Amino acid sequence: MNHIIIRKGHDIRIAGVPSQEVTSVPSSETVAISPKTFRGVKPKLLVNEGDTVQIGSPLFFDKTKPNVNWASPANGTVKTIQFGARRIIEKIEIKVDGFDSIQGQVFTSEQLTSSNRTTILNRILEANLFPFIRQRPFNKVANPKDSPRDIFISALNTAPLSVDLGPVIESEKAAFQAGVTVLSKLTDGSVVVTSKKAMELQHAEVQTISGPHPAGNVGIQIHHSKSIKPGEIIWSVNAQHVITLGKLFLNGSYSPDILVTIAGPGATNPQTVSAKVGASIGSLIVNQDIIEPIRLISGNVLTGQTVEVDNFLGFYDSSVSIVLDSVDRPFMGMLAVGNSKSKYSLTNTFLTFGEKLFNFNTAQNGELRAIVPINSWENVLPMDVYPNALYRAILAQDIEEMEQLGIWECDDEDFALCSFSCPSKIDVGKVIRDGLNMLEAEG
Amino acid sequence: MKWLRDILDKIAPTFKADGKLEKLYPIFEATDTILFSTDERTHSGPHIRDSVDIKRVMILVVIALIPCYIFGAMNVGYQMAMALGQSSTMLENLLNGAMKILPIIAVAFASGAFWELLFAVVRRHPVSEGFLVTCALIPLVMPPTIPLWQVAVATTFGIVIGKEIFGGVGMNIFNPALVARAFLFFTYPGRISGDKVWVSGPDGYSGATALAVPAAELSQDAVTLLDSVTQFDFSWINLFMGWIPGSIGETSTLWIMVGAAFLALTGIASWRVMVGAILGLIGMAALTNFMAEITGSTNTMLTLPAHYHLVMGGFAFGVAFMATEPVTGAHTDKGRWIYGIFIGGLTVIIRSINPAYPEGAMLAILLMNAFASLIDYFVVQVNIKRRMVRYAQ
Repeated sequence: MNHIIIRKGHDIRIAGVPSQEVTSVPSSETVAISPKTFRGVKPKLLVNEGDTVQIGSPLFFDKTKPNVNWASPANGTVKTIQFGARRIIEKIEIKVDGFDSIQGQVFTSEQLTSSNRTTILNRILEANLFPFIRQRPFNKVANPKDSPRDIFISALNTAPLSVDLGPVIESEKAAFQAGVTVLSKLTDGSVVVTSKKAMELQHAEVQTISGPHPAGNVGIQIHHSKSIKPGEIIWSVNAQHVITLGKLFLNGSYSPDILVTIAGPGATNPQTVSAKVGASIGSLIVNQDIIEPIRLISGNVLTGQTVEVDNFLGFYDSSVSIVLDSVDRPFMGMLAVGNSKSKYSLTNTFLTFGEKLFNFNTAQNGELRAIVPINSWENVLPMDVYPNALYRAILAQDIEEMEQLGIWECDDEDFALCSFSCPSKIDVGKVIRDGLNMLEAEG
Repeated sequence: MKWLRDILDKIAPTFKADGKLEKLYPIFEATDTILFSTDERTHSGPHIRDSVDIKRVMILVVIALIPCYIFGAMNVGYQMAMALGQSSTMLENLLNGAMKILPIIAVAFASGAFWELLFAVVRRHPVSEGFLVTCALIPLVMPPTIPLWQVAVATTFGIVIGKEIFGGVGMNIFNPALVARAFLFFTYPGRISGDKVWVSGPDGYSGATALAVPAAELSQDAVTLLDSVTQFDFSWINLFMGWIPGSIGETSTLWIMVGAAFLALTGIASWRVMVGAILGLIGMAALTNFMAEITGSTNTMLTLPAHYHLVMGGFAFGVAFMATEPVTGAHTDKGRWIYGIFIGGLTVIIRSINPAYPEGAMLAILLMNAFASLIDYFVVQVNIKRRMVRYAQ
């Protein structure tokens, strides 16, 4: 079995680590999906305000891939459809009236094993769950017409304050296995599951990985097992969504359950809660005493989106991070020795040794400057890519050079730590995303 | 410090958009954020950020130079007392030396700050903290006898031509402090060329520097020659400790090593450059020693062993604080090795073979500054080639 050792990277010692024991929170009164957050998707509505929807029934589809629909995560009525500028669909909000679903076709594991690609693909499309499958390059919703080289599943989370996937997969082993079998039908290559510890899985190649974040990012795992080439397409599915897909086939219905961590220095009761896809942020943080000023983030602190209490959990997110949003201005802060609870650096420029956790706030901790290359990017990027050179090629809009420097293998989430550690406060990840957008527009 | 914060908050609107002194905003902003850390917050992307910023990086380099400053002051006082034939305590040496070097520091910082602020205001870019390091480095590579007007001219040249015309810190090709020194070196060679020592003392007091001693004689053994000098103690251990005449900060290899270790540990300076330069110097010195033996050359410098090269002249200081400057050096780790090795090797070549300049470290670093991006280019090309081979499979 392949074992990958990641040496570069960093596990940020952020306070508010969630307890992995699962707590249940009262169900969200409304759930929502935000069509505008899906990269490259041109959404077209299938419902109107006031319509009754069933769990799993389609809410909208993608005009560029008309058979890809998005499932309603609950039974109920469409409460609001909110439009933004130029009639961008901001969100489709559904007033929840239960999660009982209509039973569809049930597959036994033998039936699954003997099914062909068309049967499986049609079932996923019919159930409107195809958007759970994303593709590399570009990290966007996959196209069912494509035949991916391989399908990668990361069975470990290394992002700060994320759900510990090991026990989750262990407790849903049958559904996870079914999900893996389902996915193995969709590719001529293999389903590659990367985990912390070895596990017994059929119809998949299991490999193990060790090392700091971003070892859990699927992009890093692809890069270290079989790097993506221009023209190749690889699909990936979040481990929790693999379970959802598995359940769709084993139980015949869509169960929109997801475990979500509520964590961070601003969380008074950091915990893992069991929730539904698209739950409202307010319903997830009921157990927290919110002491303003704080910032709520759907997703992890590196790549998540700022949200408000009345917003909703992102489609692919499985954490709500809460960080302090007040920034003080210490006198002669640049001369500070460190070892306080707020001065954290992965260079040794402050005394931050030991295991202590830090109360991060939203301070940028400095102003935007030109690059002073002290290896802060290279030290946290476990890829055979020169980030500095790639960054400059993107700024120069030189697509050919970007390709030569390996942009096909990159995704902005893998560069988030570079932005975190940059002393010049450059948002490297955003520039990588700009480069990918240029590349995609070029066709 | 609340009172100071209150004052700054009170005058802030004057400098902001539509304020009376809007044009001077960069100066206000610099003062404000140097005194109190910035309150800028993240907008998206990583919502939390590392505490290190460019201010911190630059101020730590300045802190790493403090041992060199203290020793430099003591040494200047000591050399002065020696030249006058007086005996003095360490404290007296420190005070006398400080009296000599403080004006140089003051002039360097005043002229450096003037140009940096002027460019910030005129070109509307934020004041870059890098000038603090440049201004802290310049006095250390000047002899204590330097006229103050030359310090001002050199600093001006270093900041304006070495840095600002390229767009400021992060975009310069040559190390501004070295540009400043090179400027003096070529325009006023009588004061700084490195063959005569500079001691603050009686008029006309002079002697040969350690590097000039073997350079001046033919067909001798360099170490024997150095040991025979009576005016100064040019034994290896004394060269290492630094009680010799020279530029203010460059003489003591010991204290330079302390500063260099600090920079390498904090991760600001690349240890690869330092180790590479030392390896390059040892390798090239071994080669010149060998060549001296087999060719029977009359060049005494060729016989100078590597451990003498390490402690003589400005090599140690240059490698620790100039070659490791991240912006003007190579930007890739492999490139840093090559860059360092070349600096070490070139230093020995310039010292030994070039008869005009006994000191080679400064020129070696400036030359490699020019080649740093070429080295990076080749390192990146190797990466690209490897990738293209993989893509073609």
